[in-house]
Amino acid sequence: MRIKLTSVMVDDQEKALRFYTEVLGFVKKQDFPVGEYRWITVTSPEGPNDLELVLEPNANPDGRAFQEGMFRQGIPVAAFEAADLDAEFAKLSAKSVVFTQPPTAAGPVKLAVFADTCGNLIQLYQPT
Amino acid sequence: MLLRHDGFRRLCRAREVLAQLDGPQPSIEALAREVGISPAHFIRQFEALFGVTPHQYRIQVRLDRAKQLLAVQRRPVTAVCMDVGFSSLGSFSTLFSRRFGETPTAYRRRIRAADLVPGCLTLMANLPNRSFREATGGDSRDHPENHSRSNACASS
Repeated sequence: MRIKLTSVMVDDQEKALRFYTEVLGFVKKQDFPVGEYRWITVTSPEGPNDLELVLEPNANPDGRAFQEGMFRQGIPVAAFEAADLDAEFAKLSAKSVVFTQPPTAAGPVKLAVFADTCGNLIQLYQPT
Repeated sequence: MLLRHDGFRRLCRAREVLAQLDGPQPSIEALAREVGISPAHFIRQFEALFGVTPHQYRIQVRLDRAKQLLAVQRRPVTAVCMDVGFSSLGSFSTLFSRRFGETPTAYRRRIRAADLVPGCLTLMANLPNRSFREATGGDSRDHPENHSRSNACASS
């Protein structure tokens, strides 16, 4: 078996699609209706191009409680690797992205944390 | 924008206050005072962090609650509208349609009539099954559709 999909819960799929493509720079791969929601996935142009991130609607109240709890505690729900963390930090900051942690050395990596505007904190890290 | 610990905490707290539909509903200005920044600054930071303004967030919470109530309760649309804090049925209906793509009445009619469409991972846990199949309760005999469905269940 392979890992082909991973997902983040988002509070608004349309807003999420805009943020993950226009701000983060991912590319939309799939987008079709499922009931009253959508199946939306994005991939990274930096690869691997068959690994899809699902922007999953967080319609479950228990899921929301989990998401809000993690957020409030400052805990990221996903981590993406950056080739140049400082450059990403500058680029995203210029696009009004909120960081709760600037690039910081932490053992074998340098990492930063930002809010995805859809209810999640995301960690960006760069191996050093 | 870099938001340090205290500022981040206070904005999370403000969001929790905005999500409370019962009890007093502080104004955006009052919330900004609690966070300790100007209203304009508060609105800007909140939107950068959560993707919507405080006002939009409060409206969304009310509409989401209304949607849930419409599916599980039998109270009239007007009562649901008042329950979640809207004073005008017209603006409630307009905002609901804009967010969910159909009027409150149309949504209720559809959700009560429809069999569930299999969805992805978490969609359907939102509402108890009985809200779709048994919520008509004692008066199911008034609805031939429900009646035949329960017969079908009994005979299978």
